[in-house]
Amino acid sequence: MYQFNYHKPTTLDEAAAQFRDSDDPIYLSGGMTLIPTMKQRLAAPTDVIDLQAVEGLTGISASGGVVSVGAFTRHAEVAASPDVVEAIPALAALAAGIGDKQVRNRGTIGGSIANSDPSADYPAAVVALGATVHTTSRAISGESYFHDLFETSLQPGEIVTRIDFPVPARAAYQKFPNPASRYAVVGVMVADFGGVIRVGVTGAGPCAFRASGIEEVLNANLTPDAVDAVEVPDAGFNSDLHASAAYRAHLVKVMARRAVATMLG
Amino acid sequence: MAEASDYKAIGTRPVRPDGVDKVTGRAQFAADQNMPNMLYGKILRSPHAHARIKSVDVSGALAMDGVLAAVTGADFPAASGGEVGGEGGGDVADIACNIMARDKALYHGHAVAAVAAISQCIAEQALDAIEVEYEVLEPVLDVIAAMAEDATLLNDNNFTKGLPETSDKPSNVATTMTLARGNVEEGFEQADVTVESEYRLPMAHQGYIEPHACTASVNEEGKATVWCSTQGHFEFRSMTAKILNCKVSDLKFIAAEIGGGFGGKTVVYLEPVAVMLSRQSGRPVKMMMSREEVFRATGPTSATVVRIKVGAKNDGTITAARAWMAYEAGAFAGGPIGPGAMAIYAPYDLENFHVEAYDVLVNKPKVAAYRAPGAPQAMHAMECAVDELAGKLRMDPIDLRLKNAADEGTQAPYGPKFPPIGLKSCLEAAKAHPAYNAPLPDGAGRGVGVGFWFNIGMQSSAEVRINEDGTVIVMEGSPDIGGSRASMCLMASETLGVPYEQIKAYVGDTESTGFCNVTGGSRTTFATGMAVVQACDDIITQCKSRTAATWGVDEDQVEWQDGQAVPMPGVNAELTPLSLADIAGNAAKTGGPLLGRASLNAQGAGASYSVNICDLGIDRETGKVDVLAFTAIQDAGTAIHPAYVEGQMQGGAAQGLGWALNEEYLYDDQGVLENAGFLDYRIPVASDLPMIETQIIEVPNPSHPYGVRGVGETPIVGPLSATTNAASHALGKRIYELPLSPPRVLDAIDE
Repeated sequence: MYQFNYHKPTTLDEAAAQFRDSDDPIYLSGGMTLIPTMKQRLAAPTDVIDLQAVEGLTGISASGGVVSVGAFTRHAEVAASPDVVEAIPALAALAAGIGDKQVRNRGTIGGSIANSDPSADYPAAVVALGATVHTTSRAISGESYFHDLFETSLQPGEIVTRIDFPVPARAAYQKFPNPASRYAVVGVMVADFGGVIRVGVTGAGPCAFRASGIEEVLNANLTPDAVDAVEVPDAGFNSDLHASAAYRAHLVKVMARRAVATMLG
Repeated sequence: MAEASDYKAIGTRPVRPDGVDKVTGRAQFAADQNMPNMLYGKILRSPHAHARIKSVDVSGALAMDGVLAAVTGADFPAASGGEVGGEGGGDVADIACNIMARDKALYHGHAVAAVAAISQCIAEQALDAIEVEYEVLEPVLDVIAAMAEDATLLNDNNFTKGLPETSDKPSNVATTMTLARGNVEEGFEQADVTVESEYRLPMAHQGYIEPHACTASVNEEGKATVWCSTQGHFEFRSMTAKILNCKVSDLKFIAAEIGGGFGGKTVVYLEPVAVMLSRQSGRPVKMMMSREEVFRATGPTSATVVRIKVGAKNDGTITAARAWMAYEAGAFAGGPIGPGAMAIYAPYDLENFHVEAYDVLVNKPKVAAYRAPGAPQAMHAMECAVDELAGKLRMDPIDLRLKNAADEGTQAPYGPKFPPIGLKSCLEAAKAHPAYNAPLPDGAGRGVGVGFWFNIGMQSSAEVRINEDGTVIVMEGSPDIGGSRASMCLMASETLGVPYEQIKAYVGDTESTGFCNVTGGSRTTFATGMAVVQACDDIITQCKSRTAATWGVDEDQVEWQDGQAVPMPGVNAELTPLSLADIAGNAAKTGGPLLGRASLNAQGAGASYSVNICDLGIDRETGKVDVLAFTAIQDAGTAIHPAYVEGQMQGGAAQGLGWALNEEYLYDDQGVLENAGFLDYRIPVASDLPMIETQIIEVPNPSHPYGVRGVGETPIVGPLSATTNAASHALGKRIYELPLSPPRVLDAIDE
């Protein structure tokens, strides 16, 4: 790890000011990606601004058909939240399957979403559930929030404050975990909003996306077998040591089919 | 030899003596050694898999504040040859050039220079200030391509050893060897069925959790003290002395607690470099590898291609077997072809066999010993072929093996006639085991595989010291990587008749105990254990003699029973028995402290066989393989500490399953390892595996006072074939290449 300045603001304004006043700053949330990256010297920020003491970034509430999760909420808290378990059990299950226990006790939903790792689990839910990402300056539609590999709509200095998930009638998430990291090689969330089906895919492409082809067939025929008819082209998909683009495209269908089966019970 | 049931200490399961310090973090590992004014050493590694080193300039690094030493290959004495070490050793000249490249960098990550500085950070910055001029050469990355006539050569001076006539044409084949008996062609003519296939295994790393680390401190007289993570500090001392061209007595090596080795810590990487840097700077120098360095520059074991043909009669009698095996040596000779060739047919009583093996240089790290080096690769092919043969013959695979099994008196493929061995007992136990007879879940497959390791003896020394209160210190020189101190204490307890709790075993440094070969070859409990037993016998002899003098009787009138000297039946019955504590407390009056010792070159290490049963399920849509059940059955001779024997069986199974299912070195076309970390190189963790069930078979080894056979290496051999056979049965088609990664399995399903 290279040398850096450490800041621990207690308000969002203070955090933003510290960000403005630093050469090459970065926000620290749960640190599940940032700290290992810094240890490997793949990142060398001049200033690390730790958000853990900032007020107002935690807490989960459910009302009016929306589950609202504070950005600094740990994965384990989402997994165990009675509000989430009751309203969107698929989201609780997704959180319960992230990484391992240590990661779930440290990692935060805001950190995951801000980082936009192509294999992170939460982005599938943000896209599939049509979440709204609230930041220090605006509200961003979940669908247009993810841009590319580790790229989002966030502007420099902007902080994710909470994520609002509309509550679907039912939903399910299925992933094929990397055997070492438990990251999603491919993860698919299927959600049913009163007969309108939304499908969010993570792991396959540079960032999470809606699988409109699969949505189309499921809107016509909500059965696992319906997915078989869809062509999932692998163009632009990730290809790495663990899986080729073609294998990932195959997994998108398998996971989608399983998610539908799980959702239908 | 006493019957197992007569033992009081042997066969019990006390807590290991090093356990508490390890779980509380108090145990000192090599990286925990800190000294005043200590520097940190770092190694600059080649960014090319194959390159001529035209120049290395460290002046820029040495000019930096805080940098106190820098060395390159040119600073080392000229590398001269000669074998060192037991298992995992090799040619010293090769080891010398492996730890610091001379004229060529032979793999990505090959050391080309080293620095020592006052902080790790400065040392790393200093590496950037070293200028190296390379002439980049084409890397040779595949064992078959490397053997081609026109292949790019790693070493222009390598002429294949083992040919009938020495070739005058240099080659990437370092060594070839053949083992044969009978007439293979005639054997195949007698066969009713034959199977013939090619099997490939990937390069895999030992995966010990503790990276290599050492601290060297050289004093003003040139005497070096080295704390290190090693399976054999005496051999590290020998290798370092030869590499640095100094006397063995100029070096003192201290084996720290070790966080895993599995064969990979039987050769030096850092120690001679740390000594050089300490000499140059006059300060202690600590060196610690990162995990990435461990992957790129240490271990691993050979990738292999094995072509095999086996024939049998309709009644199951195997009439002939022929194999051709190519092992990747990495950048220097040393692929374990000898043990591979000797192990491949070891479970079978064969009239006709032939195996030829090639040790082939490629631009990858120099391989090191890995648990039963060479055997998993060779036996995987044979055990898969035998399974395929069983299918063709419609025979139960265990029955087919029993029909052909080697037993006491069978001429081993590698020469001697077997003394009592436990193969048939293991096969029979497997056949009767509930795991073999339980119904299989739908779509699952069950496979069996046989494991084997020769085990070795070699040199060991031990001292047994009796304190004045009768407590006992066992001092020996075999680094404890698997609970051997507990085993030593148990054998001492059994021999002396003193409770386990009153005995403490220590691994002495190279100056406080006698020479011991490396902890490897599964020799420690056998050979060092034998030395401990003999040293205890020495104590008993002395105790009897001193008691005889005290009592005024002849020595042969004293017997040692349950930890005390008693008069022989018929001798003056009024004499009060003298305990070890009584004798030790009175030692000043009877000749001084009680010190027993023994040194030996142990012969008669008994081979250990195993049979593994694996059930696995395959997700047909993703290709993911799940191990549903795994049972390891193994002959331990006598299990001194059954829990640690089971631990070896389970640990070896976990490593074998990792290799079978997930682990492989992945290189790009320029020879850069792409998965040099645990996030991408996938060793199994607890949640990947079912409970590994164990059954210890005990066919005592007649060459050990308590019947011990080494148990550490055999367990990794069987899982590869048991898993592959199970997958083949689940899929209804055979799989020839490992690991069984999901994309590969899915391809096999789709084919």
